[in-house]
Amino acid sequence: MTLEIRNLGELYGKVSVGDQTSLGIMGNNRDVSVGEIFMIYSHRDGHERVFFFRVLALQNYLRQVDDMARVAGTLMVEGDAYLSGIQRNMLLQVGGKMLGYAELKDGKWEFRSPRRLPDHLADVYRPVPNVSDDTVRRMLASQTGGEVFIGNLQAGEATLDVPVNIPSDKLPMHMGIFGSTGSGKSNLMMVLIKSILDSNLEVIRNPNEKRTRISAFCIDPHDEFAKGVTKCGIQNIVEAMDQDTRTAVIGDFYYLTTHLKATPREIQRYGREIRILWEEILPHDLYTIMDFTPQMVSFIDSQYATNRENWMSAIMDMKEDSEDTQGAQGVPRGTLNAVQRRLRFIERSPIFIQSGSSILSDVFVAMETGRVLVVNTSLMSDTEQFLLTTVIARTVSDLRRAAKSSGTLGDFESQGAIRLPGPFFNRIKAKAKSFYSAGGQSDESGVRDPRDMPVILVTVEEAPSILNPELMRGQSVFKDLSRQGRKFNIGLIVVSQQVSVLDNVILSQMNTEINLRLGNEREIQACIENASVNISGFEDEFRVMARGEAILTASYRELPLPVRIPLFDTLFERDKSRYKASKSTRASEKHTF
Amino acid sequence: MLERILTDDFRSKLKLTFRDIEDQQDRSDEKEFAKDEVRIREELLDTVTPHASDVALDEDYLLAAVDGSGSGDLMTLDDVRVHLLSTSTVVLDTNTQAGDLFRPLDRAVLEDALGRTQPFLDCHWHSGVRGDARTKMADSLAEIYPLKDLGALVLPFFRDITKRQLKSMSELSGSSYGAYASSLGTMESLITREQMLTNPAVHDELRTASEYAAARIVLTSNIHPKYLLLDGAMSIFMHQARQYPSMPSGFMLRELCSLAREKHVILCAVSKNHTIPFAHRIAKMAQETFGEGSKWFCLLPGSEDPGGGLYIYQDRTYIPPRLAVPYLFSFSMENRPSRIDFDRVWWLENVFVQDDPSKTRENEKALFQEIEFMSRDARWYGYPVALAQAHEECKLSYEDLRLAREVASDVRHELGLDPRRTTPYREDFNL
Repeated sequence: MTLEIRNLGELYGKVSVGDQTSLGIMGNNRDVSVGEIFMIYSHRDGHERVFFFRVLALQNYLRQVDDMARVAGTLMVEGDAYLSGIQRNMLLQVGGKMLGYAELKDGKWEFRSPRRLPDHLADVYRPVPNVSDDTVRRMLASQTGGEVFIGNLQAGEATLDVPVNIPSDKLPMHMGIFGSTGSGKSNLMMVLIKSILDSNLEVIRNPNEKRTRISAFCIDPHDEFAKGVTKCGIQNIVEAMDQDTRTAVIGDFYYLTTHLKATPREIQRYGREIRILWEEILPHDLYTIMDFTPQMVSFIDSQYATNRENWMSAIMDMKEDSEDTQGAQGVPRGTLNAVQRRLRFIERSPIFIQSGSSILSDVFVAMETGRVLVVNTSLMSDTEQFLLTTVIARTVSDLRRAAKSSGTLGDFESQGAIRLPGPFFNRIKAKAKSFYSAGGQSDESGVRDPRDMPVILVTVEEAPSILNPELMRGQSVFKDLSRQGRKFNIGLIVVSQQVSVLDNVILSQMNTEINLRLGNEREIQACIENASVNISGFEDEFRVMARGEAILTASYRELPLPVRIPLFDTLFERDKSRYKASKSTRASEKHTF
Repeated sequence: MLERILTDDFRSKLKLTFRDIEDQQDRSDEKEFAKDEVRIREELLDTVTPHASDVALDEDYLLAAVDGSGSGDLMTLDDVRVHLLSTSTVVLDTNTQAGDLFRPLDRAVLEDALGRTQPFLDCHWHSGVRGDARTKMADSLAEIYPLKDLGALVLPFFRDITKRQLKSMSELSGSSYGAYASSLGTMESLITREQMLTNPAVHDELRTASEYAAARIVLTSNIHPKYLLLDGAMSIFMHQARQYPSMPSGFMLRELCSLAREKHVILCAVSKNHTIPFAHRIAKMAQETFGEGSKWFCLLPGSEDPGGGLYIYQDRTYIPPRLAVPYLFSFSMENRPSRIDFDRVWWLENVFVQDDPSKTRENEKALFQEIEFMSRDARWYGYPVALAQAHEECKLSYEDLRLAREVASDVRHELGLDPRRTTPYREDFNL
């Protein structure tokens, strides 16, 4: 056995009562907090195991005192009373939940759900930072491993040097980030972006490792990510990179905004203005973000069938008294008015343009080459933001869907032409073929499996506005994406302050949840009910969570992981030297590229 | 049963009983108490002046306490009974100078000094066959009590009772005890209540001897406490004709007192359950005299003391006990008064001052100041903390006994002995 018991931490107490799901521990009178993780060493029937236990409730316990109230009363009334030798009798009764156990099998630690009980009166250890880190890291490797760093394992108020990651191949199974205002969502998103950039950097620097790059379309509703919330932001990472690294990881741009001129000069260099042509928008995109009556849908669909990519211009150009609305199609005047009213925001929007240069093909290229885009939506209306997200998500998913349903590049061209607006598809066709080709550019060339392509993540901010049950009942792009995105290696990052109002389809398809501090009991309950791992009983813990603390649950893991998300600034300061390629790295990159 | 208890009929029966007591008992005693009332208030009763908690003692000291528990039927094998005995010794340091009051001596240090684990468990047995009970009990007592020299065991009683006229066992034959000298040679011969050796009597004797043995180990150890507290009273049951203890434990107690004096240890026995008549009246009188919440003590004098014994217990044989000085005390208005007994020989040497009642009172107040100081633990306020802790440690709960019986059964199995049920007989019938 390779386990050094003393490395588990300090001996804290003994298991007293409980079953395989919840335990009672009698421990020393230490400053224990709710949320701490203890380890219980068990050797039942010759099987050496380390059980993980999470503290959920604490109670003072005085040995030899049956009536605490009476003793406290006596101490109050009899001013000269003392308690002889009470220190050694002052104990802490700790109640909590069994998280599972680690067991060494063939020299490798395996982690299992709680289905066994620790030995009678088993010793309980409290992890000590710098002592237990390595042991915990090894035991929980299967629960904390992955390419995308989220934070460090939190043991109560202390944080262990045990990085908690998410495997990149699980990202297409969608992720939820839930937290109230001030819970640390922005910092988490920045940490996530940094981790994706780091992961991509690793892929570039280790070309022989079979790992795919990760792309992300990250909505930044407060324009914080690039500049940073306090001191540093993604821009600092970009600037910390040498030219070659920057080109490989960031490409020409990473920052999208509505008004580039209003952006600080240093960021402007890596920025582009968001412009989407009307012709790149499909009726489906609009159905995803707002309510349309069946009459309106029928009318829009008929216009799309007639005018294809020019459907929107056609509708906007219709006049109330024109024959079009009164004629053979028999569209009532009210329907036209209502549709036009709904589309009016597009007409007024600076980002949705009738003609000009669109960013969509650049975004597509960025997504297919494993890049991260920070999208400043602070000057957009909610509807604009939702439509933008939808168009991007639908475009990349339609292209991947076309590739997935094609045997050859020739098939892909036909499929793409059916699914995507013609002019747009014509613009990106050649690029798309080069991305999706399994080798060669002829029509007969085979198509790559989307699972070998970069993982594409699309963040949906203020998710309840478009992922609510009403909109999801219709033809939502996100309904399809949540169900089928995994096949195309596309994942959603659903960011929301509320869980309770999200549609069940979305919630049930989510396989990773990062649960930050929540606003109220209803949200706490919804969060617990929708978690991929059973975290019932964690209510108290949610109530005492601080900013930057989270509980990470994932369907592919047995253990709900308490995580402390470090400040982006701290991480950047720690890692900034990594972004400059060393001589040897540069040589290898040159060779690779 | 509940429906019978809740009837008016039962209430009527209780009324009759209490009225009967009132008529026959209280009225006569009331007259006796009236005779003592003034003397108690003016001469015997006094307040305790508490030691200020935040003032360190010039010299901190240790206090030890011993308590025991047990069961006379750990196992019943036909007419053989297996006794389970437990004792616990607690030693506390007043520790006023460090501020951590009455800190327990480290368990390892204590066990090392005493040479036995704490609490200490022991087993003995006896059979109900005539003669065997006495023989086996004598063997057990000899095994339990650390002093094996029987002469040394019995001499302290005779020396103390004769006020040091007897200095050695050889002088016994020339005294009024001469006729019994030959009956004092063996442990068995010291058991003169053979006809009363019922199981509870045997168990009580074994248990008392165990506690005295534990106390003796403290006295002979290197702990050197200032106080050694026992649970109970310092009563010695005397043989009516021979006028010496009817059971070996009486001799053991006197030997213990003698050894304590030799080692300059204040030996006392504290009893929560006592039968001092009119204790409640004395407590009421103390409250009226000194105010509610006052801490007080009251000497219960014997016939040899100035003014003689009190009327209220003149017909009680064992109040005060032979060679002991009892006091009533109360340090907490929440609880009824307790009793504390001191070795009379020690008391005469260290507390009582001939013809100087005020000096005697001064000594008494100093003594009770210390006893009160050691009785302020919030868990057992008003009762000596060391004794309370010893009690908590040694007590055998129903669950402890059940487990002990299970272990006993296992052990019989291990030894290949015929299996016997270890549970009490009544449980066979679910009773």
